[in-house]
Amino acid sequence: MHFEVLSRNTSTPCSDVARARSPIRQSCAQPFFLSLDLKMAAGTLYTYPENWRAFKAQIAAQYSGAHLKVASTPPAFTFGQTNRTPAFLSNFPLGKVPAFQGDDGFCLFESNAIAHYLSNDALRGSTPQASAQVLQWVSFADSEIIPPASAWVFPTLGIMQYNKQATEQAKEEVKRVLAVLNQHLNTRTFLVGERVSLADITVVCSLLWLYKQVLEPAFREPYPNVTRWFVTCINQPQFKAVLGEVKLCDKMAQFDARKFAEMQPKKDAPPKKEKGSKEGGKQQEKKEKKEKKEDKKASAPAPEEEMDECEAALAAEPKTKDPFAHLPKSTFVLDEFKRKYSNEDTLTVALPHFWEHFDREGFSIWYGEYRFPDELTMTFMSCNLITGMFQRLDKLRKNAFASVILFGSNNDSSISGIWVFRGQDLAFTLCEDWQIDYESYNWRKLDVDSEECKTMVKEYFAWEGEFKHVGKPFNQGKIFK
Amino acid sequence: MALRELSSLEKSLGLKKPNKYSTQGDKKVPVLQSNNGPSLTGLVTIATHLVREANRPELLGSTAEQRAVVQQWLEYRVTKLDNCPKEEIKTILQDLNQYLEDKVYMAGDTFTLADTLMYYGIHRIMVDLAVQEKEKHANVSRWFDHVQHYPGVRHHLPLLVVLRNRLYTSGHH
Repeated sequence: MHFEVLSRNTSTPCSDVARARSPIRQSCAQPFFLSLDLKMAAGTLYTYPENWRAFKAQIAAQYSGAHLKVASTPPAFTFGQTNRTPAFLSNFPLGKVPAFQGDDGFCLFESNAIAHYLSNDALRGSTPQASAQVLQWVSFADSEIIPPASAWVFPTLGIMQYNKQATEQAKEEVKRVLAVLNQHLNTRTFLVGERVSLADITVVCSLLWLYKQVLEPAFREPYPNVTRWFVTCINQPQFKAVLGEVKLCDKMAQFDARKFAEMQPKKDAPPKKEKGSKEGGKQQEKKEKKEKKEDKKASAPAPEEEMDECEAALAAEPKTKDPFAHLPKSTFVLDEFKRKYSNEDTLTVALPHFWEHFDREGFSIWYGEYRFPDELTMTFMSCNLITGMFQRLDKLRKNAFASVILFGSNNDSSISGIWVFRGQDLAFTLCEDWQIDYESYNWRKLDVDSEECKTMVKEYFAWEGEFKHVGKPFNQGKIFK
Repeated sequence: MALRELSSLEKSLGLKKPNKYSTQGDKKVPVLQSNNGPSLTGLVTIATHLVREANRPELLGSTAEQRAVVQQWLEYRVTKLDNCPKEEIKTILQDLNQYLEDKVYMAGDTFTLADTLMYYGIHRIMVDLAVQEKEKHANVSRWFDHVQHYPGVRHHLPLLVVLRNRLYTSGHH
């Protein structure tokens, strides 16, 4: 294999660049790199899901080839619980995530340190100048980008009260930061050197929420170099593997008063929005949260701590309202199955995976049939009926999967589907928001071991088969996931 | 010229066994002699063949759209860029500069054969540009500098200096 040394700095003995591209092939060619590979970091990253700070470490690992397991969901890691256990605190005294534990027992907290550890030399910058420049941009992200980005974005997510003055000031600071980046990227492809480095990874992750929530086309228009660089980065395979598809903001998100009120204790909510209290448990949970908040305030937190609290709230939001909290842990990871179902062949991959991992104690399978097929007229209206129901069940997505199919044609159709729920009961009764549609359906719990169940699951998930019990041809299907 | 280019491409692709080439006609169109099967004619045909031989299909584009844009620029390279008259260079640079304003690579978000061949093709133009001209076409210069530093690409061509900081700050704005 031929690799030519191509470095701007002729004093560099080897091309960091080439190594970044292909650590494995390089290591085959040169024993020196092999020894580096053997020392490659391997371990577990504890975090809550979708944590941009954890992304930095995850992307670095994608580039370096470090073996990184991510523990973000039960049973491996439950945010708010696992990180308060004595075992966790003895390794990570702050109890914050992301936190990294190597397979060799080596522990690290602080996301930048973890990302640094999981990087290779190419990402860290292989000359003293380059590594110092990487550190410069990493610090820039933390001190210049994150404070105004949080001040602007958090209220739009409903996790912080809106303050017009603070938001306007933050916008100005974001403009200043973008101008600096735009100027720098005018003549450069990446922030340091000619290849992606930890500088790009860190700054991209720090700008992620801004680009997703508020940097609408008109706002980012004066900074074309920044957007070019950002879009290129997020579309590199290593970024994509961690971030998925990132959709740039179309319209600047504004403060979401309702969402904010929902997340606050009742007495803080504006009187207009106040609804009669219905669930004691819910209220109590909120009270606890309020008390925690007050503790924080009493101890006069540094601004950064306050932000972490907000992020924690963001991550914890679905959990505080989790109607399935009373159920024991399950071995069946629904998300895993959904990924298989979405990305791979249903009959050969997703279905075998489903039956192999399905946990009959933790989940149940239901057949639901629309009770009023005679009222179904145009098929597109029937489809809206299904998708509308899915939308109203939005918060159930984490704990359910369904394939609902419209059979027949205009004025001669029926709707039925196969639903997989967490627990042994119909999930709809657990939350009043979910009770709008389910009464229009007849529900029948299927015997997991029965042939009927196997056939129905197969046909409904694959959208093909005889559908013997229906008597009408398949028209179209909708997936709830 | 085209032959040295193909030999550089072979090296950058990690192909161990160099191929035998000859040229055809006044324009010196490259021809790849093959032991089994017919010979291949033309830069793009041969380059595409080499990429397939090296089993690097991603260099031809990973999506249908990216593949089409790669082909577009390969075609542009031979039909427009090669042998372009002096008076057209300005237009070409302006067009490319505009095209590259929001792009890092010629096609899609990853490095492809279009970058390699466009770089080989435009090198002779960039060599003759004054610093001021390079600054004027900042996006082309930035792309050019990135590609010439891309591992294994440059080979037979001299490294050109592209300035990071502006010398001529007034005008062109």
